[in-house]
Amino acid sequence: MDQPQPRPENRLALIELLDRDGRARRTVDVHAWPLTLGRALDNTCVLDDPHIAPHHATLAPDAGGQLQVQVGDSRNGLQIGQRRLAAGQAAPLPAAGALLFLGGLRLRVRLPGAPLAPEWPLANPLVAGLALWAMLLVWMLVQALHRWVALDPGADLVQWLPWLLGLPAGLAVWCGLWALGSKLFRHGFEFTSHVAIALVGLLAYEVMDLVLPVGAAAMDWPLLWQVHHQWLLPLLGMLVVRAHLRQLLPQRGLAIHVSLGAVLLAGLVVTAVVNQRQQGRIFSAPYMHTLPPPWLRLGGPVPMPALEAAMEPLRDTLLQRAKDAAAEDDAGNQADPGR
Amino acid sequence: MVSLASLASLVQAAGQSPQPAATAPALTASSAAASDPAARPIADQGANPSANAPTTAAAPSGIGQRIYADMRPRLLQVRTLLKTQDSQSSVGSAFLVTPEGHLISNYHVVSSYALAPQRHRLVYATVDGKQGALELLAFDVVHDLALLRPVDPAPLRDRGAVPFRPEGSEPERGTRIFSMGNPLDVGFAVTEGAYNGLAERHFLPTLFFGGSLSAGMSGGPSVDPLGRLVGVNVAARRDGEQVSFLVPAALAQALLARGRDAKPITQPVHAEIERQLLAHQTALVDQFIAQPWRVAGHPRYRIPVPQERFMRCWGNGTPPSTRGLVFERSDCTMDSAVFIDERLRTGHIAMRHETYDGSRLGALRFLQRYNASFENEGVGGNDSHRVAAGCTEHSVATGGGLPMRAVVCLRAYKKLPALFDLTVLTASLDGSETGVQGRLDADGMSFDNAQRLARHYLEGFGWTNPNPAPKTVSR
Repeated sequence: MDQPQPRPENRLALIELLDRDGRARRTVDVHAWPLTLGRALDNTCVLDDPHIAPHHATLAPDAGGQLQVQVGDSRNGLQIGQRRLAAGQAAPLPAAGALLFLGGLRLRVRLPGAPLAPEWPLANPLVAGLALWAMLLVWMLVQALHRWVALDPGADLVQWLPWLLGLPAGLAVWCGLWALGSKLFRHGFEFTSHVAIALVGLLAYEVMDLVLPVGAAAMDWPLLWQVHHQWLLPLLGMLVVRAHLRQLLPQRGLAIHVSLGAVLLAGLVVTAVVNQRQQGRIFSAPYMHTLPPPWLRLGGPVPMPALEAAMEPLRDTLLQRAKDAAAEDDAGNQADPGR
Repeated sequence: MVSLASLASLVQAAGQSPQPAATAPALTASSAAASDPAARPIADQGANPSANAPTTAAAPSGIGQRIYADMRPRLLQVRTLLKTQDSQSSVGSAFLVTPEGHLISNYHVVSSYALAPQRHRLVYATVDGKQGALELLAFDVVHDLALLRPVDPAPLRDRGAVPFRPEGSEPERGTRIFSMGNPLDVGFAVTEGAYNGLAERHFLPTLFFGGSLSAGMSGGPSVDPLGRLVGVNVAARRDGEQVSFLVPAALAQALLARGRDAKPITQPVHAEIERQLLAHQTALVDQFIAQPWRVAGHPRYRIPVPQERFMRCWGNGTPPSTRGLVFERSDCTMDSAVFIDERLRTGHIAMRHETYDGSRLGALRFLQRYNASFENEGVGGNDSHRVAAGCTEHSVATGGGLPMRAVVCLRAYKKLPALFDLTVLTASLDGSETGVQGRLDADGMSFDNAQRLARHYLEGFGWTNPNPAPKTVSR
């Protein structure tokens, strides 16, 4: 009688041959050791990469029962995790399993005792269905209002055309490019998910850009106005990009946070430093140029002497700045007397 | 056109200047905006010959021949050379005013030397080819005059001196006068023109010479038919024909009296420039503030518009058929500014206002346009002479309680610590479909005067009718 087929769940290990996306393209159940890997037909697992030797490696427990990988007669050797092994060398396999690089292939060795990562939630769209259409409608209406405000009464209808064609096209191109990214990394086009992200960002922008500058002007708080333009709007932009990226690469959360955070911080710091050097102030705009409508003037005007008093501190700041700049010029002249 | 108001050029030859781009910015109409109202040097821009208008004076008459023959020994060219090489950084003219060899020229002819004597030297060349070194004794930066003396007086001794016209005896308007110098470094020349009295609406006394002055003639003498000094060539307008300017002889005489025994200047003269500019701005601001504002004629707002005693105002506005925002604009600027060097003119005041009527637009559209026009006003960054502006901004209650946004910016000078440039931007905040916005620029002011001007300007705003709208503010 034939030996009974071993049951799949009794496997000793599972070898996964990974594709370029990191998904298992082929799996091999291991029911007995040793397991041999190579191009020759007498291997347990036959691999077809030309950079792999006929008998490239063997997996087998040593005398103590510890699973080892032993490199056979191979020119290229192999890599286990970060470690390279040459022909004839051996190394223990960690109990949690390991990633082996043979030639151009990646093999994941999974062992029964290894802990499993928790289940990932499915990436649901931020908004979907009717709510998404409602948001799109609201955004279009807001844009129509902007356009109406910008056009003089009785403007030619042709002047609406760039807006009618341009804005939806712009939104579609933006989301389409992100969706192509999704297709590349996640094999799904996910267009509506990206539209949802973009629309939430755009509506948040509309609310912020209405409330904060006008509020700052109404309260006579130039600092809030500057912070809004120089820091909060870039932050919002980064949050939108972050949401798109997380849709693309959900398992790369930390890398996305760190890199976007670094880009944002670098941008803000560089802007502030350049402004400080060239303009003597942190913010790019020299003054708040939003004026409040008369019915929204909440911060009471200061009397004229208070304005004159506010000029006083400028004097010392400017004199110091001028003194430093003159000293810098003189140092430059002394270094270059022929100028 | 507004920009035509401000196109006078100082008559200096900054030939083959190492910074041609910086020295000749404004011989085109477009760049002569209100921001640079200075009379500018008739710089001999060797690298940019098209910038120089051709000399089109009438051929000298018999008197011209006699005058030139008489003046020839007393006429000189002044060159500013870089110490390390013999190339000239600027060229102008000069003339002898004493038998000992004292020379009068323009400050702007020798400004490179005055600001950096360690890097430059001054030399003269006479009509008969004699050359020698010069030293700077004194200068009047405000009126653009300099007093020089040869280091070795021997070659210039006994050549006589150009006599000054007795004070108080102005020539008749239309009197022929003769202007001499070395235009464009081409050779000594005499050009003939008419005396036209004082140029109108100039803060500084300036004679209007109806003749041609070219670059390089700066600092040369203009004399009456008896050979007596009427004025010193200083500037010309490039947008007109034969509109040139002279510094009155009396100012040169005063400089000679003040500086003929002075010790030669060997150190940078920033402190003296600062002292002279301080005196200038004191006189300017006192006179400016003493004048009452003119009526702008707006139905709702009282708007400060300067008297046209030493400022010129130009206005424009939207055509009546406009469907959108209706606005009127007025630009007022002084014709002259004080030349410090090729990159800096200061000591002048300019102001501007725009009134807006949005009744054809409605409140929402008006607010958007009103905001947009308050944007993008430059307040000045770091440049070769000044540091970037610092600003303070508040809503203030101006005259009669009119609420206005006020942005007050100051810029400090690196080498002239007592002086500041003031910029005030303002916009009325009381109207939902109407408003006024204004800008005041006052360059080269003391801090106290900057404060005074800011206050004077802002308090010039108000309502024409004491209570046109329910007042929402009280002082």
